[in-house]
Amino acid sequence: MIEFTEEQKLIKQSVSEFAQRKIAPIALEMEKNKEIPQDVIKGMAELGLLACTADPAYGGSGLNAVTAGVIAEELAKGDCTGSTCVFYLVQAAWGFLLNKYGTEEAKKEIFPKATAGDWFLGIATTESGGGTDVVGGKTNIKKDGDFFIVNGEKMYISGVREAATNGGGHITIAHQTPELGSRGMTVFYLPLTAEGITPTYIEDLGREGISCGGFSIDNVKIPKHYILGEENKGFYIIHEGYEYARALIAVICAAAGLKSLENGMNYAKERKVFGQPLAKFQEINFRLAEHYTKLEMLKRLGYEALRAIDLEQEGKGNRFETSKIVAMAKMFASDWACEAINDALQWQGAFGYSRECPDQAAWRAVRSFSLAEGTREVMKMIVARELLGKELISYK
Amino acid sequence: MRFIVCVKQVPESNDLKIDPNANRVLKKGVSTIINFFDQFVLEEASKIRKEGDEIIAISMGDSETKSTLMRCLALGADKAILLNDEKFLESDTFGTSNILAAALKKIGDYDIIFCGNSSLDTGSGQVGPEIAERLDLPQVTYTESIENVEIGKIKIKVQTDEGYSIIESELPLVIAGIPPSYYQPSIPPLPKIIAAQKKPFEVWNAEDIKGDKSKFGSAGSLIKIIKLYKPPKREQGIVITDEPKAAIEKLMELLNKDKVI
Ligand SMILES: Cc1cc2nc3c(=O)[nH]c(=O)nc-3n(C[C@H](O)[C@H](O)[C@H](O)COP(=O)(O)OP(=O)(O)OC[C@H]3O[C@@H](n4cnc5c(N)ncnc54)[C@H](O)[C@@H]3O)c2cc1C
Repeated sequence: MIEFTEEQKLIKQSVSEFAQRKIAPIALEMEKNKEIPQDVIKGMAELGLLACTADPAYGGSGLNAVTAGVIAEELAKGDCTGSTCVFYLVQAAWGFLLNKYGTEEAKKEIFPKATAGDWFLGIATTESGGGTDVVGGKTNIKKDGDFFIVNGEKMYISGVREAATNGGGHITIAHQTPELGSRGMTVFYLPLTAEGITPTYIEDLGREGISCGGFSIDNVKIPKHYILGEENKGFYIIHEGYEYARALIAVICAAAGLKSLENGMNYAKERKVFGQPLAKFQEINFRLAEHYTKLEMLKRLGYEALRAIDLEQEGKGNRFETSKIVAMAKMFASDWACEAINDALQWQGAFGYSRECPDQAAWRAVRSFSLAEGTREVMKMIVARELLGKELISYK
Repeated sequence: MRFIVCVKQVPESNDLKIDPNANRVLKKGVSTIINFFDQFVLEEASKIRKEGDEIIAISMGDSETKSTLMRCLALGADKAILLNDEKFLESDTFGTSNILAAALKKIGDYDIIFCGNSSLDTGSGQVGPEIAERLDLPQVTYTESIENVEIGKIKIKVQTDEGYSIIESELPLVIAGIPPSYYQPSIPPLPKIIAAQKKPFEVWNAEDIKGDKSKFGSAGSLIKIIKLYKPPKREQGIVITDEPKAAIEKLMELLNKDKVI
């Protein structure tokens, strides 16, 4: 297990205090109201959690990936609905990408607002025609003097309402040179308040404190300083953002699962059946041991994946090795956490199935992560690609 | 002015495990936090500090105590000192106050020494007053807030059984603080945690603080623990959830039944 630095230990403690004091007591309410209260968002901003991977020069905390993981873990323990975890992780991961590839002008414009909690910074690559096959997307971007014109649509995107109403936007990818396929795609920042953006909303199964939706993009004009990295190199750039998010998700799933296991375990220790604590029965305690072991493994692998990202940024890592370990960490993250939470619900009997039980919200939240930021199946494709080599890639 | 804040690291949970043979609380694997009262006085010190003032956080403890001192640096202390030596082990309040007083003498030049009124684990409330005695300083306990401070003089609001009183004192002095009921400890934000890593942090051992070593650690302690045990678990109380009128009737019935009234 990674040994945390003194700084990381203090950050962990601060986030834990914040999450337990300010988020845990109102978590279920966030889902009822379908929003994260402004004072929670402002509190996260004051602590320095939002877009925490941005350089301090732009208002960020300049955190590395492992430290970003420490925050994700504590938020996941405190927010059974996962809403603040998503709000946090998307901005940490895609803030990292903007910080690395964005222009000075864009960073100066976006980060101070995002880190202050005024704007939301999201990711929008999925389209109604497909998410896994990024190249299969239809959205296109064309150069127009000093500007670019974007047309298309995006779907199943987190934080649409937040960005469209409060301000902010999403990191997006589109075809600039369609005939070149993956080699002709460009990544850019798309403000959701721009003229030509029409949002729509979707009711999701979980993490209801943050919105999910889509938007049509109709002749939206963006300045050239919104382009991230080189034009037509977007397909390669975007994967660094996905991977950052995937590694954070692995840690979030492990932490959410472990928290529910703890709830289930406490219940099983207290609840008496046939004159004995429920936890004494092997059906319960063997399952507890198995889930705990899997989730601890998952957490450790999640941190290893985050460390691989840090090493790569320090010039000590390898792009493909990072992709592989990140995919390994995310592959079973949602499944293992969901299985553990499902049993924790079962142990809690009918209460576990009631809306008052925090763990049902955790299950609904964690379930999303076998899809969001790359599906379980895609993780398998990546690991297989790294093991077998490019000649045996299934999707080519 | 120079303010010194004495802090203690305490176990986070109330559910402590005891080693019955050694009569000691088992520390391994137990997560720890700053004593709640100590964070309060540190925040009070930060409130009254003016430009040019200095806040030093000091703690006697093992190497793990570093995290508590780092938190103090993130909460506004300018410098931290860890008193760490095998000779300090097994100190009771008498030994602890001897060690702290020796370190405070070494620092010299102070205006206010802050302590928590008591600690969450052992809760004796003796260390602050003992330090004051050893340094021959006035002491004010149960301090809730500092009303005013100027060179050589301070006005303090203290909690009393009847309410509050306002006390004036000369400086230097020892203040033992207790937070008001509405106090919410601040959470150190990330930028301050990051900045804290660059602040001065010193570790002093028994040699560094000089003083009479026979008064440190178990040798200098007066208390002998004969038996350490958990109090028996209290039965769960009765919670009445009826409407007010019915609840009062039920409460009266119970109080009459138990002959309370
Ligand atoms: C709650 C939630 C929030 C989301 N937020 C965002 C967001 O903020 N931004 C964003 O861009 N997207 C977001 N998404 C979308 C997510 O990234 C996509 O759902 C995901 O990439 C899959 O795309 P798809 O839904 O179009 O499924 P498809 O790509 O159509 O895939 C359908 C199924 O086929 C499987 N599959 C695909 N290819 C293969 C193959 N070669 N072999 C085997 N199986 C395969 C997939 O794994 C999947 O199970 C979110 C999704 C959810 C559920």
